[in-house]
Amino acid sequence: MNRPTDPRSVVMNLPRRDALDKLTGRTRYTSDLGVGVLHAAIVRSTVASARILRMDFAPALAIKGVRAIAQASDAPGLFGIGIADHPLLNGTRIRFKGEPLAAIAADTLEIARAAAAAVIVETEPLPAVMTMAEALSPDAPTLHPDWKSYELLRDGGIRGGNVAWEARVIRGDTDAAFARPDVTIVEDCFQVGRQNQLPFEPRCAVASFEDGRYHIHTSTQVPWTVRAVTAKALGVSASRVRVTVPAVGGGFGLKFDCTIEPIAAVLAQKTGRTVSLVHSREEENLTCLCRENAELRIRSAVTAAGEIVGREATVLMDCGAYGGEQVFLTTMTAHTLGGNYKLGSVRLNSRAVYTNTPPNGAFRACNGVYNTFFLERHTDNIARAIGMHPLELRRRAVLGDGDIGATGQVFQGDVLRPMLDRMAVLIDRTKDHRDKADGRLYGRATTVGTWFIFVGPSSATVNLNADGSATLVTSGVEIGSGTMVQALPQIVAATLGLSPDEVIVKSADTDAAGRDLGVGGGRATVSIGAASKMAAERVRDQILDIAAEMLQAQPEDLILTKGRVEIAGRPGTGMAITTAIARAEALFGPVSGNGNFTAPGVNALPGCAAGHFIEAIDIPVFAVHDCEVAVDPDTGHVEVLSYKVVQDVGLALNPRAIHSQIQGGVVQGLGYALHERVTVGPDGALEQPGFEQYLVPLAGDVVPVEIDLYEGAPSIGPLGTKGAGEVPILNVGAAVACAVSRAVGRDVSELPLTPPTVLALIQGRTGRMDHPQISAIWQDNLLARAT
Amino acid sequence: MPIELTLNGESIALDIDPRTPLLDVLRDRHGLTGAKAVCREGFCGACTVHIDGQAVPSCLRPIGLLQGCNVVTVEGLTAPGTLNRVQQAFIDHDVVQCGMCFPGMVMTLTTFLDGTPNPNRDEVKSALVGNICRCTGYERIIDAVLSIRSEGVA
Amino acid sequence: MTAQTGYGLITTPQTVAEAVAAMAGGAVPIAGATWLLRAPLRHEPMPDRLMSLRCLTEVQALDIGPERAVIGAMVTHDALAGALAGQPDLAGLATAAGASANPGIRRIATLGGNLGAAGFAASDLVPALLAADVTAVLATGSGLQSLPMAAFLAGRGGGGLILRVEIARSARRAAHARLPMRKAGDYPCAIVSVSADVSGGTIRDIRIAVGAVESTARRWSSLEDRLTGTALDPARAEAAAREMSDDFTARDAVDAPGWYRLSVLPVLLRRAFTQIKV
Ligand SMILES: Cc1cc2nc3c(=O)[nH]c(=O)nc-3n(C[C@H](O)[C@H](O)[C@H](O)COP(=O)(O)OP(=O)(O)OC[C@H]3O[C@@H](n4cnc5c(N)ncnc54)[C@H](O)[C@@H]3O)c2cc1C
Ligand code: FES
Ligand code: FES
Repeated sequence: MNRPTDPRSVVMNLPRRDALDKLTGRTRYTSDLGVGVLHAAIVRSTVASARILRMDFAPALAIKGVRAIAQASDAPGLFGIGIADHPLLNGTRIRFKGEPLAAIAADTLEIARAAAAAVIVETEPLPAVMTMAEALSPDAPTLHPDWKSYELLRDGGIRGGNVAWEARVIRGDTDAAFARPDVTIVEDCFQVGRQNQLPFEPRCAVASFEDGRYHIHTSTQVPWTVRAVTAKALGVSASRVRVTVPAVGGGFGLKFDCTIEPIAAVLAQKTGRTVSLVHSREEENLTCLCRENAELRIRSAVTAAGEIVGREATVLMDCGAYGGEQVFLTTMTAHTLGGNYKLGSVRLNSRAVYTNTPPNGAFRACNGVYNTFFLERHTDNIARAIGMHPLELRRRAVLGDGDIGATGQVFQGDVLRPMLDRMAVLIDRTKDHRDKADGRLYGRATTVGTWFIFVGPSSATVNLNADGSATLVTSGVEIGSGTMVQALPQIVAATLGLSPDEVIVKSADTDAAGRDLGVGGGRATVSIGAASKMAAERVRDQILDIAAEMLQAQPEDLILTKGRVEIAGRPGTGMAITTAIARAEALFGPVSGNGNFTAPGVNALPGCAAGHFIEAIDIPVFAVHDCEVAVDPDTGHVEVLSYKVVQDVGLALNPRAIHSQIQGGVVQGLGYALHERVTVGPDGALEQPGFEQYLVPLAGDVVPVEIDLYEGAPSIGPLGTKGAGEVPILNVGAAVACAVSRAVGRDVSELPLTPPTVLALIQGRTGRMDHPQISAIWQDNLLARAT
Repeated sequence: MPIELTLNGESIALDIDPRTPLLDVLRDRHGLTGAKAVCREGFCGACTVHIDGQAVPSCLRPIGLLQGCNVVTVEGLTAPGTLNRVQQAFIDHDVVQCGMCFPGMVMTLTTFLDGTPNPNRDEVKSALVGNICRCTGYERIIDAVLSIRSEGVA
Repeated sequence: MTAQTGYGLITTPQTVAEAVAAMAGGAVPIAGATWLLRAPLRHEPMPDRLMSLRCLTEVQALDIGPERAVIGAMVTHDALAGALAGQPDLAGLATAAGASANPGIRRIATLGGNLGAAGFAASDLVPALLAADVTAVLATGSGLQSLPMAAFLAGRGGGGLILRVEIARSARRAAHARLPMRKAGDYPCAIVSVSADVSGGTIRDIRIAVGAVESTARRWSSLEDRLTGTALDPARAEAAAREMSDDFTARDAVDAPGWYRLSVLPVLLRRAFTQIKV
């Protein structure tokens, strides 16, 4: 039966059900659970590259209160996303400073830490490479001499030496495009540093071992990944691992990987006790799976009319010591750097490069944030070179209905162009803030961005309770974005004619719910939402069938509303839903329904993309940002004067919650653009161990974002929704960089724009950026295909 | 000699290392996990409590200096089941996200509003220099605080 | 991470004599504790034996008189900023106390602790006190000692309990210009604190102190000499400072490179002058 839920009936500014406990300090996060348990500390490497000769645990074991030690042999095997190259505990070859070598459980955290410090680790130094330029030099030492023997979790990548993975796009004939007599060729180099997610709750896990099964409470975005990785590491069947997730104190992608959970599990099994493993802030920062640093060379052939007939680019992405997320993220260059604009022909190469530095990871709009910065600054340079207004160039060149993307996917609907028009309206509505610049240099820029919703498997069960309430069981976790406390209950409630607070939402428990890819990539509302909607519809259909019989009506004529089954158009003629439930329970037992969802799959042009995990994007999401800045010419301080966002949201289920996500995402982007700097020291260690050195925006540094939600773009999400939480950060770096560049009249080629970076630019201390490690001849940056 | 102080209205005596930060005493000994250990260096404010009526970071208050002090944590700020006006405004404006910073925000803003009943936007921002939020981008928190002010005025 | 083994001790001496004796025996004064409690983060051991100054009346003074101001070591930044409001000759110190750190820290961190934290290069109070030409009064094994700030800083670490600072009031005007990387909340990467005797638009006497640029704050005597007798002109002062900024060997640190600190020094001087002029 096909009974479309009226999307508008779902839309509301539903308040959060978790706010009360969060405001009164009663919410128990994983990091709050470590009371009355053993505490664990990790033994870490103190050098960046070395062979381990010997580890002596005797001095640690001699300390009173030490209960167990976990070492490499307790969690053998190699892990990864794409390539299995990463040991959980390393007993042989150290590849970054701070690498986990062993872990110790003890009665108190102090004892565990003292014991960890007492372990003797004897090493023989090996040469190290700290930058991608060093890693790619011909005589560079290889971090993973055994790379050929690693298990590939995904086919297709081109690999070799310190290049963990290479993903290429080749569409059309760029040589011919660049050779055309009527084009202007614009070439640029750019780079960005790392960004630390800095969720307030660090990575932490509390594990126990009961009845032969492991139970891990953890602060994660991916309970099913934790279950799978833990089982593999421990050499047990995945069914022996149960993962539950309380409220998560922020994730932003950092917790999209399994890191410390198996270690806690080993220690729980060895001690028979509950073991809490919580990163200190310093450990968390120094081993943070940051947004990677990246370097780019790009060139474009553009006609006087602004038609981009050819584009070639090579992106280097630093994966740190292990491939991790970056291997997968090489895929994203095609859709971000290769996004936004119509390209006559294109060749892109994304390379994930090993260095002896802490591994990087996923961070909100991974890869997209810097590629959008690169692309938008390059677009401004193109506009200057062909003498066209940057907005005019964008208006002409952005992707529209039927245009093909970098990998040959066909885009549907005109979205970016009308969004640019909406931004123009938003800009007209408010006066500019030039007067607030007050003698400083003023700049303004509008930028565009392309992102996508990461789909993939989700499942849901809805149980309709005898009291008329419903319980939604999924593997979703509440990481702060509100999906679990707002969007999902809204969707289920609307389908069942309940109010959202009558929908109980169970937090993730892998023993209770089916498999799920995790919360991140903007996918929760879409994927879990679609599965939840399907489950709720199945429940609804059962109830309507029963009620139809009882009311002697056709099920098609019935609707569920306000806790009642009614005959459409005749309110008050039906019955309470509880009556129908009672009848159903008497006839067949309790009412429940299951739903599921996975990636539907959109086509790319065959043969365009090599080494890509995702060749075409299922749900594109677009964003237009505008920003005004004032730059202090004496100190290089950038003040953001105004910020505006037009965001493609499909359908805004909860506009107020989306506004919150946009304000928060933009501010994280402002941090990336202006303050948040992670640097690698000469010893390969990150140089920002705490909040003193790693500066995130404070209340005084931000502005209220003016927002226009663009609805109606095509989406396969439930009720036409798209995820709205990830994309707000996408073009902030780009918008700020373009605005600053215009304000100071110089090319901004790197982020973050800290005061020293900007002042150096103003004073002409910064030369034109060049990356000798990326050849100007595109083909020369390709690996020979490994055999 | 044990250290005696008042915690959420009850007198307690502690015989522990006097250098122990109050934050750890609250969390580890009293199960009061409302104050969060986020930076432990005075920058983030997630551990903020009231000591003798002042909002201060509990991570930098060694218990040995708190002899005779009156400590109130977010758990003791209001009677069980009730909210103060700051908490209520945060619910009404739907500003909470991951929530980790909010107990500290509530503690800071509660005393701030007692001392500055009619703040402007910049004053609220200055009061929050030591309260970091990684999720919300602040502005809606400030809207919520300013709504209290206007209610106060009316 | 240093593991704390065994119990520490915090004693509470009742008299200055007892405190001095305790210090001689190895006890370390603890004031606001905002520096000491961060020792583990600096990978330094936390002292085992501490002494609280809570019961000493001699360190609590806060007396801003017409002739003389006396500020006890235990006065917090917050209390100091409040007490100094509206005093032109102490406006620099007021800004230093009121704009440093963040509100929660200002409620606990003390003057004595700020002076005592020898490893802290970005202290706000130190340059402000240098510019205000205060006298530090210390209790030592050999009795009370009064030291000008520069001498105190040179001998820091040599022991002695800071009791208070004393300031001779005057008709001077003072200002404090600091430059954090954000609007506020982080350590300043450079500080210029100025106290000037200006009459008829001319600088009769001036003290300029620079903080956060080198590892310890100090006076900029060559620039003081150059500007004495000239008109109070922010732009000219900036130009003079730019010519002379190689008087400093600036710190390269994670927060800012040395060249940047030197580059903004003249700007901060101009800002301080502009404040004084108003
Ligand atoms: C987040 C944060 C931000 C900060 N930002 C700034 C800033 O921008 N500007 C700024 O100026 N400060 C700032 N500070 C404060 C500064 O770093 C020190 O922490 C503070 O000044 C120390 O004061 P205290 O009273 O807490 O000292 P304590 O930690 O108690 O002591 C510090 C040192 O002084 C010694 N000491 C204390 N009192 C005496 C005494 N009477 N006689 C002799 N020795 C004594 C102690 O033995 C110890 O060695 C900040 C602090 C934090 C935590
Ligand atoms: S934990 Fe105390 S201020 Fe951050
Ligand atoms: S809501 Fe997450 S830190 Fe503020």
